[in-house]
Amino acid sequence: MNNETQLRERCREALELTKHHGAAEVEIFAQTSHAISADIEKHDLQTSSSQQETMIGVRAMVNQQVGFACTNVLDELEATCADAVKLAKASPKDENNVLPTPVAFEPVADLYDPKAESFSVSDAVQQTIRMIETADSIDSRLILGGGTFAVNLQTRCIVNSNRIDLAENSSLFTYYALATAKDGEKVSNMAFRFDASHSVDGIDVVPVATRACQDALGSLGAVRGESFVGPVILSPSAVQAVLVSLVAFQLNAKNAVRGSSRWGKLLGETVAHSSLTVTDNGRMPGGVATESFDREGMPHRELTLIDSGKTAALMHNAYTAVAMHVANTSHGSGSARSTPGIGATNLSIEPGEVSKDELIGDIKQGLLVNRFSGSSNPISGDFSGVAKAAYLIKDGKLDRPVSGTLIAGNVFEVLQNLSGISSETERVFTAILPFLRLEGVSVTAE
Amino acid sequence: MQELLERIAARSSGWIELRFQGRSTKQIAVRNGELEESSSKRIQGIGVRALVDGVFGFASTTDITEQGVLRAVEAAQGAARTSASAKKQRIKGLAEASLGVGTFPVATNDPLDAHPLEEKLALVMKIDERIRQGASSIVSSSASYAEIQDEKIIVTSDGARTHLFVSIPEFRVMAVAQKNGDQCFGNKSNGVAGGWSDLFNLLPPEEMADYAVQMAVEQLTAPHPPGGLATVVLDPGLVGVLSHEAIGHAVEADIVLGGAITADKMNQKVASELITMIDSGASEHLPHATGTLAVDDEGVVTRKTVLIEGGVLCSYLHNRETAAHFGVEPTGNARAFEYSDVPIIRMRNTYIEPGDTSVEDLIAGVDDGYYMCGLGFGGQADSNAEFMFGVREARRIQDGKVGELVRGATITGNAFDVLHSVDAVGNDFHWDLGAGTCGKSQAAKVDAGGPHLRCKAMIGGRQ
Repeated sequence: MNNETQLRERCREALELTKHHGAAEVEIFAQTSHAISADIEKHDLQTSSSQQETMIGVRAMVNQQVGFACTNVLDELEATCADAVKLAKASPKDENNVLPTPVAFEPVADLYDPKAESFSVSDAVQQTIRMIETADSIDSRLILGGGTFAVNLQTRCIVNSNRIDLAENSSLFTYYALATAKDGEKVSNMAFRFDASHSVDGIDVVPVATRACQDALGSLGAVRGESFVGPVILSPSAVQAVLVSLVAFQLNAKNAVRGSSRWGKLLGETVAHSSLTVTDNGRMPGGVATESFDREGMPHRELTLIDSGKTAALMHNAYTAVAMHVANTSHGSGSARSTPGIGATNLSIEPGEVSKDELIGDIKQGLLVNRFSGSSNPISGDFSGVAKAAYLIKDGKLDRPVSGTLIAGNVFEVLQNLSGISSETERVFTAILPFLRLEGVSVTAE
Repeated sequence: MQELLERIAARSSGWIELRFQGRSTKQIAVRNGELEESSSKRIQGIGVRALVDGVFGFASTTDITEQGVLRAVEAAQGAARTSASAKKQRIKGLAEASLGVGTFPVATNDPLDAHPLEEKLALVMKIDERIRQGASSIVSSSASYAEIQDEKIIVTSDGARTHLFVSIPEFRVMAVAQKNGDQCFGNKSNGVAGGWSDLFNLLPPEEMADYAVQMAVEQLTAPHPPGGLATVVLDPGLVGVLSHEAIGHAVEADIVLGGAITADKMNQKVASELITMIDSGASEHLPHATGTLAVDDEGVVTRKTVLIEGGVLCSYLHNRETAAHFGVEPTGNARAFEYSDVPIIRMRNTYIEPGDTSVEDLIAGVDDGYYMCGLGFGGQADSNAEFMFGVREARRIQDGKVGELVRGATITGNAFDVLHSVDAVGNDFHWDLGAGTCGKSQAAKVDAGGPHLRCKAMIGGRQ
């Protein structure tokens, strides 16, 4: 089974089988993926591989009791359908368990590049070799300890008993480089860079390898930093690690329903500095997480989550929309291996009007953090961890790379004390993020 | 299936590894009294790895007919041939190994399938309810149960004939407490390699629930610690995390060859002479550690591997390729999470050997410091052994007595520096990472633990 029509037929068959076993409402979500990858290890090509799998997930409802089962053993599909019904019958009733109904939409263009079909293992190998050669051309002290070039051709299909019947093909090339610089006894931090493209023509591994290598070289020879409470500039990667998971958690309607999100009760209220606007757009052209419809078959659309510092919307799937009596925002997330959750797609922080250098320019004593290795608690907001590839800022300039420096604070507090957003943005996995300048962060040097 | 794989392996022109895996998982999650998930998953497939011209190629398939497996063999061999011209350092050969032959069942008297769904669901509902009733400030509760059951057949063209069974149940709880708009959470998790009662023998779910409630509530009024270097007593949970994350990954031979700080430290003193660290496929000291594995995914019989003995680094963790490179015996650390994953070097049960100091004496010897327990929110380590872990429970120690809780503590430093600073090792032992899943491009179920340790480390806090 390797095309859209066959997968759709199999889903329809599973829907009827699940009804036959006693389900009142049924959702079948299936994914077929054909993946090719080539891996870098020890600055050399390691293993190249190909994988193919079809996974079918069955969500069955009986009297608003729900059960879920999935399998890649298509000969056992009926047993999986029966299992989902059995699990539903053993579950307690929840009146918020509903399936969505169809909504018309325009499919997202350019998700699938037919040229990807002829992309071979050999092509993937060549891309990894380019990453290694890029590192070699920059500095002999660099080692690409890891890296991958992967392509995934996927067909997603969803059929439910409310007549949602959709399928979509996509191609996605993803690649990352993990660089370390070593000079005698000195070993740099590991530096990681990632990028992606839906089209063959959009692939460019050289900037990814180059930036990982530059980050690794920059942190070589880092010395002891300074302790202070003051301004800290987070790179897009550090913004993702410190702030994004908290924002996505707090604006996840499931957490509001659960009582574990304080922002869940603060819609329309100020939670951040007025310069902060956060959006999520599952239809973003070229976005890593771009798809026409979500895990429940609802069309993606752009949603403003934080508007000039005020909470503007929560992210909903069908369950939370019913539970909170609001519209579904099409944020059903997950794969055919699990029941739909809620998740951001291509989350973006709107860029500011000043450059990163201007953000640094008026800081007497501060810290630039390129990578954050630590914890950021999405419930309490407390964050604490090591500033990696960090630079001490003195009198408006990068003074020296520093190691062993910890930063700590509370995300809810620093969002209110945001003092600058850069005009430059970078892709960090699925997010598009600028540099952020925070005030009042606790910096501790070892 | 085993007969088919053996027949195909016997006909192969070069070295080949065929792994069948059938996996069944179940998951039940309840939050605030409502069922969040009741699910089952059944997957199966075959992963094929071929070595051609000194290069590995890999392919996986869900088509387990003879034709399907042969197509995967062809794809794996084709991938290897394609890569051969691009690879700089060809694999000269695979190290000789003791290969697993036979059947390796799950070690339990209480198999998971003997307990019906209704019993498991009722327990999860009961524990979730206990959390909600635990304190008036609790605003959110959750409890969940998950199980993985694997059947694996591993056949290699040079003699592995392994039929292996794995059973891993896990239980997790979480409580969120709220006061004046501030929210804090407490959590606890447990996992074992074994059966239903093995999961709860040492840690009843009621105790887990009560602990999560206490942590959530107590943190609401706890101060943040000041940052800086401190004397700390680490519990077996954090000792396990330190052993696994900060040391264990840095001695995985593929990471070593990628430029880890351990690359030129073999036979050198890297820790206090009080430290002996092990990674083992068996479950020493206490049974049912989650990383317990008789045979790895290359078909190699697993060994107890002494990584650090008396403070001296004495082994890396190997697969057959790196063992050949270093001229040593494979340690049985090649693991793949699913049939579609390539086997890579992973830990199993990683721990520090107990010493001879009582836990009471460890704490009594601290004038001003911290007692730190378990992995909290977040944790990372680099190949230069620098680490940062969130701490689940951190308490001040003053004048040899454990006192108030501090909130949001993290512990950081260079793991080898921390291990050099160890001045006493407890005489106790616990596994604590049983519900953990290690991530290194693919998941792996591992365990880690040890005794209590007294050492110096940086505490991440507020200035």
